Amino acid sequence: MPHKCTKCGREFEDGSTEILKGCPSCGGKKFLYVRPDERHQDVLEEKSISQIAEETKQEVLEVAPPLAGSGTEVHKRVESIRIVGPGSYELNLEKMAETGEVVIGIGKEGKYAVDIVSMVKPVKKPKKKTKGKKKEKGKGKG
Amino acid sequence: MSFLIKTKKKLSRFLKVFFRKRRARIGIYGPPNAGKTTLANRIVRDWTGDAMGPVSEIPHETRRARRKENITITGMNGNSVDIDIVDTPGVTTKIDYKEFMEYGLEKDEAVKRAREATEGVAEAMHWLREDIDGVIYMLDSTLDPFLQVNIMMVGIIESRKLPVIIVANKIDLPDASPGRIKSAFPQHPVVPISSLEGSNVEQLYEQMADYFG
Repeated sequence: MPHKCTKCGREFEDGSTEILKGCPSCGGKKFLYVRPDERHQDVLEEKSISQIAEETKQEVLEVAPPLAGSGTEVHKRVESIRIVGPGSYELNLEKMAETGEVVIGIGKEGKYAVDIVSMVKPVKKPKKKTKGKKKEKGKGKG
Repeated sequence: MSFLIKTKKKLSRFLKVFFRKRRARIGIYGPPNAGKTTLANRIVRDWTGDAMGPVSEIPHETRRARRKENITITGMNGNSVDIDIVDTPGVTTKIDYKEFMEYGLEKDEAVKRAREATEGVAEAMHWLREDIDGVIYMLDSTLDPFLQVNIMMVGIIESRKLPVIIVANKIDLPDASPGRIKSAFPQHPVVPISSLEGSNVEQLYEQMADYFG
């Protein structure tokens, strides 16, 4: 039967050898058996805030202020990828989701490399008789 | 009962010949180390017997998108869906080679990994732009779901009007709190699972058959 750590609640599969040295999460040495069909039940039945609010009929109060200015504001940038240094990159996911056009920022600020080839749409073979869209013009430097 | 299900399956197969639909292409997205490849491996193994790719505890192990075609997933109620699974590299806004050196990689290797991981994110975003019909967004339920990258990615997926199932993975760990993820994304179905141990994956298959079918 699977085991459960009595200290932190982590559950282990039947025959797990990890618990011989104590619980790898909290170091606890006491375990109890759990029925296989009851494994992770406490976690699976965990309620979300809205569910708790519904049951207790209390309002949801948000104490934490919204995250502002945390990290870098990558979404306002023109570049899709910024190379901060060798092996260190910042990625602008919103730009990457919008278009395949690649503008690369180099260093901390103000330097850009523009990949013009990525801005020209590949000429598709006309499968249907409708005309293809006009090529978009590449944006200039930011 | 099973007779009905069999008939239903036969009928749907028969109809498919006439109304050939492109298989839905389902991308598994999420931050690095959420367990995307572990889940992809499990899905592929459960339904075809193959494997998808290697997993590791160092983030960005998957740096190229991998695709497995023609997987039929059947829910308990007999609903089934034919999909292609695309396992994508972890999506993040910052990649720094120093992070990999903490896992014991040499500098050269870490820099190379960072470069490949960056290409991987670009590739993942390319797939999302061009070729994905539905998304499984995977989160580590021991971590804070309110990270900028998660909010941004779910927003991007919503703006493309793609159906999304959020998977709260790693429920086998003691700090797991799928309720936190449910609170963060109340607008989407959230399925808590352990892709490593396979707990509750049946519910995910059920949800996939319903949602992507």
